[in-house]
Amino acid sequence: MRAFVYDRPDAVDEAVASVAADPQAAFLAGGTTQLDLMKDGVWTPDRLVDISRLPLRGILVESQQLKVGALTTMEQLAAEPVVAQRLTFVREALLAGATVQLRNMATIGGNLLQRTRCRYFRDPTVAACNRRSPDSGCAAVDGVARMHAVLGVDERCIALHASDVAVPLLAVEASVLVSGPSGQRRIPLSEFWVRADEGPSIENVLGHGDLITEIDVPLLPQGWRSGYLKVRDRASYEFALTSAAVAVQMDGDMIADIRIGLGGVGSVPWRAREAEEMLRGTHVDPVRFEQAGRATMASAFTVPGTAFKVDLAVRTLSRQLITMTEATR
Amino acid sequence: MTATKPDLGTWVGKGIDRVDGPHKVTGTAPYASDVTLPGMVHAVVVTSTVGAGTITKIDTSALLTLPGVRAVFTHENFPRLNPSPDVLFGEAPTAPLQDGRITFHGQEVALVVADTSQEATEAARLIEITYAAEAPLLDPAAGQPEPLPLSPDTSRGDTEAGWAAADVRIGATYRTPENTNNPLGLMGCVAAWDGDHLEIHDTTQGTIALRKTLAAMFGVPESGVRVRVPYLGGGFGAGLNQWPYKLLAAGAARELGRPVKLMLTRPQMFRLVGHRPDTEQQVRLGATRDGTLTMIEHRATVLSSIDFLAVGLITSGTGHLYACPNVATVERTVRLNRRYPTSMRAPGEAEGNWAIETAMDELAYELGMDPLELRLRNLATDLDPASGKPWSSNGVIECCRVGAELFGWSRRDPRPSSMREGDLLLGWGMAAAGFFAYLPMSQARVTVYADGTAAVRSAATDIGTGTYTVITQLAADLLGLHPQQVDCRLGDSDMPASAQSGGSGLASSLSNAVIDAVSHLQGELLTLAGADSPLHGLGPDDVVCRDGALCRRDDPSVRVPIADLLAGQGLVEMSGDGRLRPPDAAAAGMVHAGAYGARFVEVAIDPMIGRLRVRRVVSVTDGGRILNRKLARSQILGATVGGIGQALFEDTLTDPGTGRVANGTFGDYLVAVSADVPDVEVVFVGEPDRYTPSGTKGIGEIGLVGVAAAIGNAVHHATGRRMRDLPITVDQLMM
Ligand SMILES: Cc1cc2nc3c(=O)[nH]c(=O)nc-3n(C[C@H](O)[C@H](O)[C@H](O)COP(=O)(O)OP(=O)(O)OC[C@H]3O[C@@H](n4cnc5c(N)ncnc54)[C@H](O)[C@@H]3O)c2cc1C
Ligand code: SF4
Repeated sequence: MRAFVYDRPDAVDEAVASVAADPQAAFLAGGTTQLDLMKDGVWTPDRLVDISRLPLRGILVESQQLKVGALTTMEQLAAEPVVAQRLTFVREALLAGATVQLRNMATIGGNLLQRTRCRYFRDPTVAACNRRSPDSGCAAVDGVARMHAVLGVDERCIALHASDVAVPLLAVEASVLVSGPSGQRRIPLSEFWVRADEGPSIENVLGHGDLITEIDVPLLPQGWRSGYLKVRDRASYEFALTSAAVAVQMDGDMIADIRIGLGGVGSVPWRAREAEEMLRGTHVDPVRFEQAGRATMASAFTVPGTAFKVDLAVRTLSRQLITMTEATR
Repeated sequence: MTATKPDLGTWVGKGIDRVDGPHKVTGTAPYASDVTLPGMVHAVVVTSTVGAGTITKIDTSALLTLPGVRAVFTHENFPRLNPSPDVLFGEAPTAPLQDGRITFHGQEVALVVADTSQEATEAARLIEITYAAEAPLLDPAAGQPEPLPLSPDTSRGDTEAGWAAADVRIGATYRTPENTNNPLGLMGCVAAWDGDHLEIHDTTQGTIALRKTLAAMFGVPESGVRVRVPYLGGGFGAGLNQWPYKLLAAGAARELGRPVKLMLTRPQMFRLVGHRPDTEQQVRLGATRDGTLTMIEHRATVLSSIDFLAVGLITSGTGHLYACPNVATVERTVRLNRRYPTSMRAPGEAEGNWAIETAMDELAYELGMDPLELRLRNLATDLDPASGKPWSSNGVIECCRVGAELFGWSRRDPRPSSMREGDLLLGWGMAAAGFFAYLPMSQARVTVYADGTAAVRSAATDIGTGTYTVITQLAADLLGLHPQQVDCRLGDSDMPASAQSGGSGLASSLSNAVIDAVSHLQGELLTLAGADSPLHGLGPDDVVCRDGALCRRDDPSVRVPIADLLAGQGLVEMSGDGRLRPPDAAAAGMVHAGAYGARFVEVAIDPMIGRLRVRRVVSVTDGGRILNRKLARSQILGATVGGIGQALFEDTLTDPGTGRVANGTFGDYLVAVSADVPDVEVVFVGEPDRYTPSGTKGIGEIGLVGVAAAIGNAVHHATGRRMRDLPITVDQLMM
């Protein structure tokens, strides 16, 4: 493996300065994405700035929201009682992700920044990857593409953002706090990721040296229900083929309000706003659920390997809508 | 061979814990990856990034200036090797680095040797290779079909007449994908030369085949090559062949005059140590109204690499399972620019069974007959239908009956989609299974010591299946000792030669060698009994060893301590060498039977989202004499997990344009995880087999055979959809 400088600062501004000063530097949190990329030779930074000593671990519970330190692990967040009560779908998405060993290492900040699992991206001997080397083409479009995206993609890149927990976090309109070389700012998750069809090589709006310090997660109001359904080939330890995060507020058998996020389908975690619009204020009706799903998937760009995902995503969403609206009746 | 039946039963059969368990769990069992020798350097294999063509340039000069780098071997400077010799199932694909030809994506093209594996890895990453690339041949339809030496065409009766005579006919095409063996232990070796003597610590499943190959290819005497494999982290067939990495390490070690360690990476495990190759199979079955088979036709095409042929065996079981007068099997292979194929657990049988047992289920539905009933009507239990001779044993009907009873098969409503539980569709499926008998040669030495303890030595390997333990149990019974008094050592080619652990043949082969060795040992001990001894004049089979004494078999109270026998001649130990003595097939008047099984499976399918979960498995096996119930159960359990993987997950994908493995990591290549595996009920039936004194059959592979077909048939029962291509995935199950 290539030699690199290892740095482990104690303060946020030191960490930011350390990365900002070196264009070839990268942050290291739990390392479950970063170290894989280094071992595969996809990304070989000269300097690794380990942020694990920064005081960014833990969850502050406020009346309307959670302030989650960026270094909080997936397991820690899943174990927080308020998450179980008021953000059920966040807990379910966390626990459906990876394995307990990985979740004990993986941080929530790192999770939002995980890189695509596209095998062509992760194998530097493959020349054609617009995401890794701009304007080189896309090997996946003509290749093996079962675990790829169908929304927010085009023939330049069909990379999937494979995070589970990002899907419900997006649906509840969480935001991240960022400390960077030019100070602090807040970025809503809805503006955080960049779709592959808007530029395959840029994944999010962070600049070099920008550090996520906190994720602010609004709690669902009392009376809402939420849940996360993940469909995959095997029963655990696999990324989603498709997933649906649904939160509803029911009024009798009417959907008073609703939030929907879809996973396994987008180059970014996907908020299904059309579907929300179509369902808000309507009565429970599986036919309409399916129509809402179809409307969301209408803009899908598919290749032979991913074509099944359009139908599967509609079904996944319909099933989850049925489950979420059924139990309240 | 002694005709006397050995006296087994005190320890044989008992589910004792693995005798090597404490070594494994305390980390003291030495694996090849643990070996460190003075002056040892580390080698990393560089693989091709094109799927066909030739190397036009490799620039290694820059690499040699990198820290720690000792040497870079390419086809330009690697020693020339002699051709590989023939060793059954386990030949070498082709000598590495002999020319610049590329026959598959990911082929060995260079070897970087450095002081540390990190330095070698980094230098390997920086190597610059220029290729004259050609379009790889990847489409089976464009290749030339050729026969497979181990899978000749077979034919009996007249299949066309059988087809014409049938009231009900089915014919369909079935496919199985490439699966990669992937033992958890990475394969690799440490090779060290001392003059013309080579010692290699490796992960082979067969020490003697590797010894022969290394000696021949490096032009040194077999007596000077020592292969050591006391432990390896699984094999599943990936350790059967003499893979190029071993030749690379040995060649580099010789050139550098230093021990060389070479461990493959997980991605390389998908490319350089074989796989279960893809098959496409056409099956035609005909039957009369009452369900009697009138014909079976089984045609298979299996994929090979350019220089190395698949084993095949896809169709070889087909003519033996069912008593049908008209059977034809045809097996072909096509050479493509694909990585080396090999045997993977239940090679050929697992793939062939998928096609045949799915077709039988289809036939049952065409007939309107219970699939179990169709099996029972046609299974060939008394005579081998191919030769007309009696089987040495055959418990396949018992497997089916016992399995059906335990599973509750009689409560099955045969109509597809008729059994439901809420939104879920339940499906019950079954399959019969057979696995060929294979009895390769093994030798063993049994030694007794003056202190009353004993040792067994053989070059055989224990690949995690429990060979150490079952041989210890067997020797304990034969010698009348406690297993703790028996020391079993394996995995060293300097010990008596043995077959590889593969083809489910080792337990039978080695156990019979041990029985023979004990008989010889008894003969040797008798030569020590002087004229005044109560044992004087007895033959080797008139005596038995018990508690450190040699006793009359018919009256064990007549006994002489072995210590006394030895002391009388100034000896401290005595050995007996033995080997498998297979009965003369013609004289035996029977056909050596393999293991049999029946699998019963329940699946639950959520048709809206295509989610399938295996709910229940009942796996019944006729494994002859069971040497250790606990280990035998583990074999069937593990094989069931493998079968679930074959059915639902495992699928090594190839990039259409380049021939590159598209999913060669454990993150991308799915195997069954614990959550996919329900409680599995494992049952053994049948009697000790008559063919050899040990009465054993191989049980390492049979457990996998039939699992996939039972699952596929259960899917059909649940959904009405017929599954003919593996793996069965979500997208095929959305309804
Ligand atoms: C085998 C496997 C299976 C997995 N399965 C799933 C799954 O099913 N579902 C799922 O959602 N995820 C899954 N993951 C992904 C896993 O959740 C992420 O790898 C993990 O969350 C990343 O967190 P980390 O702390 O390890 O990040 P790291 O690997 O340390 O970092 C990831 C990236 O983010 C950057 N970074 C990290 N923290 C910060 C910060 N605070 N500010 C700025 N930059 C930062 C790093 O520089 C790096 O580029 C899986 C991963 C593996 C390896
Ligand atoms: S899908 Fe995107 S990441 Fe994958 S090869 Fe194409 S461009 Fe690269």
